[in-house]
Amino acid sequence: MSLPPLEIVLYAGAVSLLIIGLAGLVMSEHLVRLVLALGVAEAGGNLLLVLTGFRQGAVAPILLGAAPSGPMVDPIPQALVLTAIVIGVGVQALALALVLRVRRAYGTVHMSALRARLVEDLDEAAGLPPEGSREAPGVERPV
Amino acid sequence: MTADAVTLAVALPLLAGFLSPALGRSSRTAAQWLGWAALAASAAVLWSVWVRLDGGTAAVAVGGFRPPLGIAFYLDGMALLFALAVPVVTLLFWPRAGTPQQFALTLVLAAAATGLALSGDIFNLYVFYELTAVASFGLVAAHEARRAQAAALRYLLLSAAGSVLLLAGIAVVYLRTGTLNLAHLATLAPERLQDPVGLAAFALMLLGLGVKAELFPVNGWVPEVYSSVSGRLAGLLAGLVSKLAVLVVVRALVLVFPRPEAAELMLVLGTLGIVVGELAAWRARDLRRQFAFSSIGQLGIVFVAFSVPGPAGIVAGLAVALHHLLTKPALFLLAERWGGAIEGLRGAGRGQWLASTLFILFALSLVGVPPLPGFWAKLLTVMSLMEQGTGPARAGAVVVMAATVVEAAYLFRTLGVLLARESGAESPQPHRGPDLATASLAGLILVGSVFALRPLGDGLKALAAQAVDVDGYVRTVLGGPGMAVSHPASQAPGGAGGGARVAHVPPEIAS
Repeated sequence: MSLPPLEIVLYAGAVSLLIIGLAGLVMSEHLVRLVLALGVAEAGGNLLLVLTGFRQGAVAPILLGAAPSGPMVDPIPQALVLTAIVIGVGVQALALALVLRVRRAYGTVHMSALRARLVEDLDEAAGLPPEGSREAPGVERPV
Repeated sequence: MTADAVTLAVALPLLAGFLSPALGRSSRTAAQWLGWAALAASAAVLWSVWVRLDGGTAAVAVGGFRPPLGIAFYLDGMALLFALAVPVVTLLFWPRAGTPQQFALTLVLAAAATGLALSGDIFNLYVFYELTAVASFGLVAAHEARRAQAAALRYLLLSAAGSVLLLAGIAVVYLRTGTLNLAHLATLAPERLQDPVGLAAFALMLLGLGVKAELFPVNGWVPEVYSSVSGRLAGLLAGLVSKLAVLVVVRALVLVFPRPEAAELMLVLGTLGIVVGELAAWRARDLRRQFAFSSIGQLGIVFVAFSVPGPAGIVAGLAVALHHLLTKPALFLLAERWGGAIEGLRGAGRGQWLASTLFILFALSLVGVPPLPGFWAKLLTVMSLMEQGTGPARAGAVVVMAATVVEAAYLFRTLGVLLARESGAESPQPHRGPDLATASLAGLILVGSVFALRPLGDGLKALAAQAVDVDGYVRTVLGGPGMAVSHPASQAPGGAGGGARVAHVPPEIAS
């Protein structure tokens, strides 16, 4: 499969956005940056999806009376990407709302601090002694 | 009732879910009853369709668009079994103390999970998957404790990253084939997806769906979420939602990516999941996280079993998945009863004979002590892996057996603490009586299935034979010569759609 140069550039752009976003999700520390990285990754995914229907020099597939003579782009990915964008916006809004609530409850917007506090909370809720005995097992080993 | 009625099984809980908050303003009880009625109706519809199909298969074209274009539902034994499990398990694990908003989210979760079981179109699967995800974020975040908010946020970020991967996988599949219908994909896959790019698409979809299915590298949310929420919600997510994600992966593997490399990838990730999950469960110091990690290990066994090609793998995978669906939610209910650090439970099981008996029963079955169903599920898995005979499969079998030893070590240790003669500093008092009823029901089914092993095994074999029958799937959905019976009542007025198509595969295929 050989692609025209324009499409190679477009696909490379979409995949790069995806990778940049995922790298941001893995490497970022600030919660809002994580949500932004998620937005970048979603943009890459959506672009990849809409590109699957792209044809160079084709027109929009809108049928008004006579069909256009030239090639038309595939309309299905456009319908799909609309759904994916709406889902993405909803999830990001929910994520930001949760960031606000977490910030209010824990007073931090840093992932590693949040993670440590969460583990402390879970230990406390389970009635475990706080730190220090990580190496010793909770109960005696069976003989 | 015709097969098209299955759309009601998805639509009714969804409709009730959207009505529930509005109705809840005036009466919480009414919202609750509305939810129960919708789930009961969904279960009744699925049951009657299953009885009517009588071992055959059918496809429903939603909205009357012909299958390669429109959204298709595919009904076979495996899809209907899991679809039926959704309303039943949701009713049992209904958030009784919740708000109308929680009822709404639970209903949306049930509707989306039913859709995951039935859908025969990968983009539709993506939408249902997202709907399941968003409903579960809401349910997790609805808990008062701040740890639930943090767990929900971390869960959301991981799950959304998984969804992006799933979407990218779908884009690659569409790029190569130009279709989203699973049956159409099954016909095109042999020539268009049998290369490294196709494998990459499967890997992307596996990782995306793996978030919900607690697959190895993307399951960091599991212990945090399950130990922050109520036992009921943990049971629902661990028991039901994870299995439906697995079901989607299995469909994709059987229909679209029947390559040894794809199965091997699943085998390797599943094996790593077993190792990580069981070792972490062995280290866990509180009951909830022990069960959460053990859930990761069990889902690893499910993936390992399903990686064996052919009906043997499907039978083993279904057995492990159904066994886990029965035992783990019940164990989470028992964990809610006792709760907390394992060391603090010293002697807590004495005097509560029913809860202790149930715990012993589930623990023994999870480990795989012979007469109990858990033993047969693991035996089937190990045997199918050994029969496959490749190096990785044998390694997987060894890991499953080694995991059994680790499971025995930590579950018996917990059991020993619970039934210890001396009592702890403060013996925790049981709270929440009614949850014991649900756990007892699961226990009764577990014991009952010991006496029905042969019919159960035959049933699973029939389901598996149907599930691996790719030609039957394609014929049912796309309609083959002489096989499709178009339904008389469904001629669309415009004449273009052709309405729903119902095709029956002769019953001998299911035997």
